[in-house]
Amino acid sequence: MRVFLELGWFFKERKKHYLIGVLMLLIVAFLGVLPPRIIGFVVDEISRGSLTPAFLMKWLGLLAAAACAMYVLRYAWRQMIFGSSVLLARNLRKQLFDHLTRMSPAFYQKRRVGDLMAHATNDLQAVQQTAGPGVLTLVDSFATGGFVIAAMAFTINWKLTLIVLLPMPLMAYLTNYYGKLLHERFHRAQESFSGLNDKTQESISGMKVIKTFGQEQEDIEDFQRLSGKVVEENIRVARVDSLFDPTISAIIGVCYFLTIGFGSYFVTRGEMTIGDLVAFTAYLGLLVWPMLAFGWLFNIVERGRASYDRIRSLLAEPVDIDDRENALDKRPEGNIVVSVEKFQFPGDERSALRDVHFMLKRGETLGIAGKTGSGKSAILRLLLREFDRYEGEITFGNVPIQDYKKQRLREAIGYVPQDHFLFSTTVAGNIAFARPNAKMEEVVQAAKLAHIHDDILNFADGYNTVVGERGVSLSGGQKQRISIARALMMRPELLILDDSLSAVDAKTEEAILESLKKTRTGETTIITSHRLSAIQHAHQILVMHEGSVAEIGTHEALLERKGRYYEMYQLQQLEALVEQGGEA
Amino acid sequence: MEEQKVLTGKAQWLVFKRLMHYLVPHKKMVFLALGLLALTVLGDVLGPLLIKTFIDDYLTPGTFPTGPVAGLALGYLFIQVSNVIISYFQLLKFQEAALKIIQQLRIDVFTKVQNLGMRYFDKTPAGSMVSRVTNDTEAIKEMFVSVLIGFIQSAFLIVGVYTAMFFLNVRLALMTLVLLPLLFGIMFLYRKYSSVFYQDLRERLGQLNAKLSESIQGMGMIQAFGQEQRLQDEFNDINDKHWAAGRRNIKLDGLLLRPAIDIVYAIALIMLLSYFGVMSFSSTVEVGVIYAFVTYVDRFFEPIGQVMQRLSIFQQAIVAASRVFALLDEEDLAPRQENALGTITSGKIEFRNVTFSYDGKNDVLKNISFTAEPGQTVALVGHTGSGKSSIINLLMRFYEFKNGDILIDGKSVKSYSAKELRSKMGLVLQDPFLFYGTIDSNIRLHNHSMTDSDVRAAAEFVQADRFIEDLPDTYGQAVTERGSTFSSGQRQLVAFARTMATDPKILVLDEATANIDTETEVAIQTSLEKMRRGRTTIAIAHRLSTIQDAELILVLHHGEIVERGTHQQLLSNRGLYHKMYLLQNGIVE
Repeated sequence: MRVFLELGWFFKERKKHYLIGVLMLLIVAFLGVLPPRIIGFVVDEISRGSLTPAFLMKWLGLLAAAACAMYVLRYAWRQMIFGSSVLLARNLRKQLFDHLTRMSPAFYQKRRVGDLMAHATNDLQAVQQTAGPGVLTLVDSFATGGFVIAAMAFTINWKLTLIVLLPMPLMAYLTNYYGKLLHERFHRAQESFSGLNDKTQESISGMKVIKTFGQEQEDIEDFQRLSGKVVEENIRVARVDSLFDPTISAIIGVCYFLTIGFGSYFVTRGEMTIGDLVAFTAYLGLLVWPMLAFGWLFNIVERGRASYDRIRSLLAEPVDIDDRENALDKRPEGNIVVSVEKFQFPGDERSALRDVHFMLKRGETLGIAGKTGSGKSAILRLLLREFDRYEGEITFGNVPIQDYKKQRLREAIGYVPQDHFLFSTTVAGNIAFARPNAKMEEVVQAAKLAHIHDDILNFADGYNTVVGERGVSLSGGQKQRISIARALMMRPELLILDDSLSAVDAKTEEAILESLKKTRTGETTIITSHRLSAIQHAHQILVMHEGSVAEIGTHEALLERKGRYYEMYQLQQLEALVEQGGEA
Repeated sequence: MEEQKVLTGKAQWLVFKRLMHYLVPHKKMVFLALGLLALTVLGDVLGPLLIKTFIDDYLTPGTFPTGPVAGLALGYLFIQVSNVIISYFQLLKFQEAALKIIQQLRIDVFTKVQNLGMRYFDKTPAGSMVSRVTNDTEAIKEMFVSVLIGFIQSAFLIVGVYTAMFFLNVRLALMTLVLLPLLFGIMFLYRKYSSVFYQDLRERLGQLNAKLSESIQGMGMIQAFGQEQRLQDEFNDINDKHWAAGRRNIKLDGLLLRPAIDIVYAIALIMLLSYFGVMSFSSTVEVGVIYAFVTYVDRFFEPIGQVMQRLSIFQQAIVAASRVFALLDEEDLAPRQENALGTITSGKIEFRNVTFSYDGKNDVLKNISFTAEPGQTVALVGHTGSGKSSIINLLMRFYEFKNGDILIDGKSVKSYSAKELRSKMGLVLQDPFLFYGTIDSNIRLHNHSMTDSDVRAAAEFVQADRFIEDLPDTYGQAVTERGSTFSSGQRQLVAFARTMATDPKILVLDEATANIDTETEVAIQTSLEKMRRGRTTIAIAHRLSTIQDAELILVLHHGEIVERGTHQQLLSNRGLYHKMYLLQNGIVE
């Protein structure tokens, strides 16, 4: 029940709604006591033969009025209480999303998408259940239970009430016991189901092996066996699950029997009337729900608490990269000086960068070469301020990048990542990602610069073609070029191409580099690439090796050196030849 | 989240009818359950009648003759007790039937999946196929268990209660018939709106989750481009719409669900009381009859609310079933074999002018012809996408081809039975796939006739025994999902043993390029050599060093054989093969 305290802030925020909602619930519970009582009165008058039209009209009128009032109130409390619970879910979801947009890549590296999604879906759902049905169950089970018992004891016969209530705790006990049994069996049924799921997954992934060995039939038999196990485990569940209804009706049956037996005794002794007896049996039916509600309530609350704990701890994750006090509200421009002594990715023992020093003059192009894991991307990610913890300093226009406002720094950098991520919106929407209000001409201009314009015109809906899972599937090269156009839309002071020409052919690569050179005269560009053709025209080339700068210089100077760069270059020439089928 | 298809009423009905067909093999159990259900309803209806008799005949007059009263009491107890027992078995039987039906459906879908061609696997994400087999069928189970059974129960109860009411008082029973159209009206209205509103809510939730998951995955981009605020706004917009949809559903539920059912219940009570009240003005009314009617009306309303609340489950199950049936109706089947009696004896392979295309547009193999004599090794080399794997895919009959022919021992590969082909041809994949189980089960697969010593012999033959013997549980060592605890070299050796255990005539190798540690590398190479001895071998070679002794090397480029010959011949040609050789050896000329 602690979760109700923990959600106290929200109940306070929606004090009016919850107070009114609970009040309505209480009134409904009270009105719910009326119909059986009215039945009893009318039956008494009928059995005595003394019923008058006025009497009948009075009580039926009251019954009708109560029914209408209950309808209205039942509708209204749902708006108040359930309405509040969906509001809570909405607000928490918004908080979560806002928080997620502030978290750094380091955070996303250690959290899996599935887990984060689970917080926003299952956990929020459980909290919503607590704030809605949870509150309802808590209030309603006490209120209905209380009012009905009070009505039985005070308006009919307290002795009979005591007698008849005796088996009721047994029902609460038994259903609770079944619940525990069910929980254990259900867990095993779930396990066998996920076993079946794994089996299916495995068979589909390993289909070639199965076909190769001609084992389709055997595999089907195996599946049959596993699905039989699922049936078995579920029948175990059903064996307990099917106990609930019969148990409840058995105990209610005993209660009825006691009611009729002892009730008749009290009737003949004149302690109550036949109408009372009929009313009493009707009350009995109303008691079933509150008895069952408790088990249910504990369930909701338990899940709600665990879920709310998880959501709170996620929201409590500190934002690790933020603006400094008095950060410069200026878009950086000018020379870039990188001087990093040592950098490790969080949670990694090895240093990703060691003694990397270089200066990049404004308007020049820097090429970075090296194998996967040599530190090319690490340099770029530090420039983007994805990580703040390293020894050394990076300045942009003579100011450390940490002194700019994060937003302004990123405004100056057009970044084309290795793993070209496109959003599931239109092509135009993807290109204009950073400037959603840009004119269409600008979008087309950027697409032309990235040499993707012609491809786009060939799509079914041109620039309005939706990309992603539910849209057109793009080739890797097309995705890369759209990513480049997206970065160009920012007219960035610094353009970063992180191995982002790997999937385009040599000719297109050359054309793109050429148009970049023509249009980006005053601005700075950094290109990393496996393929040296993409960087050989750079003003300066860094050759990275195991996190350090192995060689530095122009293409010609590096070739002259006959070192690493030279070797890479020769092998790539040969590789290009092979790719083309051996003829130069 | 899967996209939800919108089905027309007629399509829904067809899907439902087809689902009902699955009941047929279990009709015994279903009828038994229905019979039991009828008995419990009978008990439910008889109980109040006994109490009615007690009230009218004994309680009202105030006389309690021991015999008859005890008889009534015993009768009542008997009905209660037997009802409890019967209803337990009835509930159980229904669930059992539902589970068995779903099992059959699952097996059908899984069998279908096994019979699909690789082409289907290429175009369908594995996850969605798994979903068809497990999650969608689970949704259908939910429908059987919580909707259909509830529905049948309600129907039986309505019939039972009305029968009893007609028995007690025809006029009043006729009057209460008015309730039925009222209830059906509410149900109809609720279904009509909830199918729209609920669908809307689900769609919004789908959008919300899609947006969230995409944003989490693309957060790096969002931050790099400084679009946090815009994405927050977009998310809030969807979030607000989802919220609005949620509130709309609460309103609908409030208007038409429980509160509405309860008001009909109140109307029913008022009808009963006014009828008996008015009757009492002119004649005497038996209190027991009132009691019985009140009780019946109470019973009657119990299950209706529950069923209505679960209508959405029904809707989802129908959509799920339509997806399952679509897969069952899929026509992209695996290539057929003619089931002739021919056997493969010598293992000669001949490709004759084979041209092939996956999509019917771009040919990935163009006019391929070559012959592998019995016992020879033919190596396929070439760049990614040159067509090497397609040659193997056709030879293994993963895909159907139309132009040209592939002959084994002079007869078309299509003419052999599937069993003959699979038992005489062994394929080792580039990425060795291990199944969950043990080393032993991975070598023998489902072949139970294989003895332990066969398994060991196969492992020894490929020199996998050394690392296996070093494992704590040797051949019984557990293999986790995809064999992730073993190195790729070890996995490859197990895959070799698996192939050798069947002692194929023809060996098809897709050579591993993955980072194999040098230690196992040596073992793999020597094993490969041994395996090829005496077998016709078609091998894709990524490392040219491994196929230098091949009788024939085919160099492929863009689906064509551009060079052919032995290693020495090709080197002296100084063509593409020569360049590849230099490249692999890191020789800079």
